[in-house]
Amino acid sequence: MILPAAILFALFIFWPFLRALWLSLHSWDGFGAPSWIGLLNYQRLLDDHIFLGALENNAIFVVGVVVLKNVLGLGVALLLDQAVRGRAFFRAAAFLPVTMSFVAVGLLWAWIYNPVFGLLNAALETVGLESWTRAWLGDAQIALYAIILVDVWKWLGFHAVIYLAGLQTIPPELYESAIADGAGRWQRFWHVTLPLLTPIIFINTILILSGAFVRNFDLVYVMTRGGPNHATEVVLTDMIREAFLGGSMGYASAMGFALFLIVGALSAGLVLLMRQRSLDV
Amino acid sequence: MAGNEPLPGDPARGGRATATPIVHGLTRPLPVTIAVYVGLGVVTLQTVYPLVWVLFGSLKDKSGLINNIWGPPTELHLENYAQAWTIAEMGTRILNSVIVTALALVIVVIAATPCAYAVARLRFPGRSVVLAIAVAAMLIPPQVMAIPLFMVARDLGLINSLVGVSFIYAATGLPLSIFILRGFFLTLPDDLEDAARIDGANRLTILFEVMLPLVRPGVALVLIFEFIEVWNDFFLAFLLLRQPSVQTIPLGLVNFFQQYDSLWNLYFAALAMTTLPIVAVFVVMQRQFIAGLTAGAVKG
Repeated sequence: MILPAAILFALFIFWPFLRALWLSLHSWDGFGAPSWIGLLNYQRLLDDHIFLGALENNAIFVVGVVVLKNVLGLGVALLLDQAVRGRAFFRAAAFLPVTMSFVAVGLLWAWIYNPVFGLLNAALETVGLESWTRAWLGDAQIALYAIILVDVWKWLGFHAVIYLAGLQTIPPELYESAIADGAGRWQRFWHVTLPLLTPIIFINTILILSGAFVRNFDLVYVMTRGGPNHATEVVLTDMIREAFLGGSMGYASAMGFALFLIVGALSAGLVLLMRQRSLDV
Repeated sequence: MAGNEPLPGDPARGGRATATPIVHGLTRPLPVTIAVYVGLGVVTLQTVYPLVWVLFGSLKDKSGLINNIWGPPTELHLENYAQAWTIAEMGTRILNSVIVTALALVIVVIAATPCAYAVARLRFPGRSVVLAIAVAAMLIPPQVMAIPLFMVARDLGLINSLVGVSFIYAATGLPLSIFILRGFFLTLPDDLEDAARIDGANRLTILFEVMLPLVRPGVALVLIFEFIEVWNDFFLAFLLLRQPSVQTIPLGLVNFFQQYDSLWNLYFAALAMTTLPIVAVFVVMQRQFIAGLTAGAVKG
């Protein structure tokens, strides 16, 4: 019964995984015979300032989206949890970008940031902030943060909905007794809502982390291709360029495998942390 | 848009009646109410307006796009759609996306269901190993294996093959699908299976005729996840579908914009016709969709 799954898995997950490891220990241009070079590829990674820059950008990306998606997601969930007219409409609206592809979102925002016909500069001019207008994706100081915001925009509704589900499992009696004890709005949030949401915060953080290292290729490729001057380079865009333009298959495999080790170590750490706090999620 | 009654099949909603007029049993002071509506207004505006802007832009001509940036079009240039459809070869791209997505969904359900059933309900040596591998594989993003995956596909002659790529999509979706379906199989009572076995049904009959209909919500969840994944995927398509004739929608969009310079209004039309219908379908189905996603996340 597990045979069909096992064949698919072995062929397209397990075998490529082993080959990635094997290739990363070789020098190979994609055509001739790979030659064994041991850990030289990994050593080269440590001196490659483009790769290190990409790794740093990845780290900024991860911290940025983990903080923003959690904080804003919870904020939006609290708004959506209020009893208001048209609540279903507001929920659907908040969720819209989740259904769009990264390519569509990336193109849309590349146009919003466009200096000629972009919505953002037009909006800034309308409210009298002409001095703030700029080529958002052409500015090496800003481009990475501009892309991070786009990723947050796409996923905000998704994380808000998960927080909303969490908020709705909190028994109302707890709020009633907190009110009876004289707790104000903020006190109720800090002492009732937030502690009870801890498992949901973990779930959201895992979901965000699992995407944050590798799901940014599409956005970066579509919006800036890693430019200007590698300012928005992430590991995957660097890897794909090395492999298919630079022809260094072995070196690119080492990049992929290094990324896998980092993601794996972080996931394992997070799972251990959850076990320790005995959160069964 | 949906009403406010509890979502069917959403366990999270059971605890509290959603029709409660005032939150947490407290009357809300007016400034708070105003702040809530302003906040919701901002959230709605920043998601809806960019999409409306795409729709507006798709109906403008080029000068309208540059001179009247954020307003509605003054005259309707519907011919943008016809031109974008032809130049970007949208018909072919949509057909390719439909073929790849449909095949991948069928393959993943056929492969994942028996495996999830076996892991959940049969006792065999190595059962926990299969489960551990599935969980571990969920943490390996297929993207980091891009290069060997490309080589395996090349060795098997699957580059530029829609069918071949469907199998690869199915494989990458397998771990999560097995995990989700296993959760649903675990909730079924043993009696059903025992009764069917006494009636002389074999394992496969039990699986497909007795058990499968009972885990339909799980299959639906797998289909939703996989649909979003495959239909929207750019990375694997970019890697494996190199010929224009087999490219899917996301790849076609990117190529269209790179190949033809500054046909801005046509870009907007191409994005509008490939994105807005899907968005509309999700708006109509959003209750089931959101319920499925949250049930999955809270369960998983």
